[in-house]
Amino acid sequence: MSLELPVYLIDDDDSVRRSLRFMLESYGLKITDFDSAEAFFTGVDLTLPGCVLVDVRMPGLSGPQLHLELVAKNSPLAVIYLTGHGDVPMAVDAFKLGAVDFFQKPADGAKLADAVVKSLEYAKVHHQDNQYLATYQALTPREREILNLIAQGLKNQEIADSLCIAMRTVEIHRANLMKGMQVGSLAEMMLIYSRIAEHLRLE
Amino acid sequence: MYFKRFEKMEPLVGWAVSAKSLWLIASLVCLLGLPKLSTAQSLENTPNSVLVAQTALAKSVVEEPSNQVIDVGVLAIRGYKATINRWQPLMGWLETQIPNSYFRLHPLSLDELAKGVETQGLDFVITNPGQSVLLARQYSLSWVATLRSPLNNGAAMQVGSALVVRADSPYHTLNDLKGRRLGIVSKNAFGGYLTLVYEAQLKGIDLPRFVGEIIPLGFPLDNLIYRLDDNKTATDLKQQLDAAVVPVCQLEQMQTEGLINIERHRVLDNQAPKGFDCQVSTRLYPNWSMAKTSRASQPLAKSVTQALLALPEGHPAAKAADSVGWTTAVSQLAIDQLLKDLNMHPLQAPWWQRAWQWVKLHQQWAWLVLGILVLLNVYHFWLEYRFSRRGRELISTQRQLNENRALLEHAQRIAIAGELGASLSHELNQPLAAIGHYCHGAEVRLQRGTSPEELQSVLALIQQEVTRADSIISRLRNLLKKRPVSKQPLYLHELVNDTVPLLAYEFEQHQINLAVNVSGEAYLQPLDEVGMQQLLLNLLKNAADACIQRQALEQSASEANPRDDSKSYSPSIDIDLRYQEHKTLLTITDNGTGLTEEASLLMQAFYSTKSEGLGLGLVICRDIAESHGGTFNLESAIGGGCQAQIAIPRKS
Repeated sequence: MSLELPVYLIDDDDSVRRSLRFMLESYGLKITDFDSAEAFFTGVDLTLPGCVLVDVRMPGLSGPQLHLELVAKNSPLAVIYLTGHGDVPMAVDAFKLGAVDFFQKPADGAKLADAVVKSLEYAKVHHQDNQYLATYQALTPREREILNLIAQGLKNQEIADSLCIAMRTVEIHRANLMKGMQVGSLAEMMLIYSRIAEHLRLE
Repeated sequence: MYFKRFEKMEPLVGWAVSAKSLWLIASLVCLLGLPKLSTAQSLENTPNSVLVAQTALAKSVVEEPSNQVIDVGVLAIRGYKATINRWQPLMGWLETQIPNSYFRLHPLSLDELAKGVETQGLDFVITNPGQSVLLARQYSLSWVATLRSPLNNGAAMQVGSALVVRADSPYHTLNDLKGRRLGIVSKNAFGGYLTLVYEAQLKGIDLPRFVGEIIPLGFPLDNLIYRLDDNKTATDLKQQLDAAVVPVCQLEQMQTEGLINIERHRVLDNQAPKGFDCQVSTRLYPNWSMAKTSRASQPLAKSVTQALLALPEGHPAAKAADSVGWTTAVSQLAIDQLLKDLNMHPLQAPWWQRAWQWVKLHQQWAWLVLGILVLLNVYHFWLEYRFSRRGRELISTQRQLNENRALLEHAQRIAIAGELGASLSHELNQPLAAIGHYCHGAEVRLQRGTSPEELQSVLALIQQEVTRADSIISRLRNLLKKRPVSKQPLYLHELVNDTVPLLAYEFEQHQINLAVNVSGEAYLQPLDEVGMQQLLLNLLKNAADACIQRQALEQSASEANPRDDSKSYSPSIDIDLRYQEHKTLLTITDNGTGLTEEASLLMQAFYSTKSEGLGLGLVICRDIAESHGGTFNLESAIGGGCQAQIAIPRKS
């Protein structure tokens, strides 16, 4: 399922880039390659999920710089680093930034393919989270307040009492919530809320 | 170090040379001295015309026992016949004055006359003043009378030289004759030559060197004048004369005899005293004189003297001799003086004889000098031996030095390879990684059912990567190989382009901008490929190190003062290669930390500002540039950083 998602390969060395593409395509991955970070930024929609395989050292923007940009934009794209020779401090930095994995060239094909698939799953989740968050942010402040109280396990009457509004009003808000979040049941709504709660606390 | 030693030895070379020349001079002296002695001996033993004349005389004595035979030698200056004509009347006069005597006249040349006196073949001689002094100082001669000249009130001073030129010639004084051809009778002729030489010497002129050529024509004197006259018609240039030297009155006499027209001649520097009727270029010396040899008896000499003095002025015998009779012998002092000044006086032994006498007298000194000469010679050979030995040592040292230098260069190349390690491993890793990826990809595809035919193209891709790896390895191997320096015709810019990739990774890693600029019309030139590559690597590595160092400095400065980011540092290295008409100019400029020390100090061996540096890089750079006949310069670049420049002259 996630194999359908795009994999972006960025390396300035032509032969390495082409050989990597050849290898990863044999695993059925959909590869788009770029010879620089700049070319990648101009050609890719950063809000869509996918995987970025990036060389650490490149002329112009380097791998970590590209990663920083993605983080700043809260892109769902997952990042895997490729490097010519092992560089422990750089690997530590990479993981701090949230890289999925770190490979030394020549990379083991099977492991790399596994990592890519894993990162695509991760990207998909990240993308969904982003979407939930967007939905949540689309709610009115009153609706968010009521959602918060529902999540604390309060009944409709208790919510009406604490907010000093009519029971009927709470019910209308609740229906709007279900519609806005595109969920059919309270349980589903609570699942989504738990997914975005982490982000909310960060905010 | 070795050159300094060599310089010190140079004065010794001078010593050896001078010692050698001294020895040569000494041996030359020995060689010259010996033949002189032997020729003198051979002369004594050589029979000559006088001896023949002597035996003839002996015969005549047998034939005419009644008469006392008296042999008179006379200098034949104008040929045999003229001499007989001149002096035979005097012989007649003497025979009339001295009873029972027979005076036999012998016209002889200068040498024959001397020989005749020496061998006691003559009783009396009649000769010119120069000859008379020469003879008198060597043999026992006593002067009995001097001829009186009819031209100068009968004075006894009648000898000198007339320097004759043609009336139409451009010469007016002796000074005009520089480099000309001068005809003389003989180099020993007194009136005809020596008096003029002396006169010239008094004027500060060394006559034999002053004139171009001196041509002795011998007697008779008339020839000189005829040859001078024939000058215009003579076809052979070698026969031409510009001037002639004749005894005084020769011209006038020939005029009187109707042989020449005196108007066609001029006498240079005429200084005839008042009342003297002949033109003369020199002062006058005593006239011809008559002398008795040791063979003639005293009474005979007395009677001859009386007879001569008794000769009346107008007597035919006096007239025949162009004289007005005879007078008592006059002083020969002036002639002595002249001969002495000309270094020809008979009492003046030749210099080598004097030297030989000195040597005999001061034997101990002579031995000392000889000993010193021998010692010097021995010393010279010893020095030469030491020289050649030292020379061989020097050559072998130099060879060893060259070998050591080659080893050092090699060591430094290996050191560069070590420094290039990161860059090289990256370079090598790239194609290997690509090969790995292709292989793995192909394997996976085969497992998933792709047909092998479809994967054939991958093999070509793998082959490409193998080639790339191989070229990197061979480039490195080339650099590390120990090799004899060999120069091949190459384009320098191609060498630059080949070398830069070895450091590309390093530049990339530190984001150093590298610009290569080639200008001018490229041409092939003999280059030591590996050496040049080493030079380029050294300089580029240095430039990169300087940039990295400055980068670190700027970074720590901006961390300390984060607001001040107005000037962000971007490291750059420029390679500028110019093909010029007569040389190739390679300039590598960086904007790193710049020179921290004097360039000359940096170019010393084993001096390094880097903790792991060998201190050989720049030394080797200079060596390599110089091995191409070029120069290597290091200086601070404008706006910080450093600029290294290599100039290699173009060779056809």
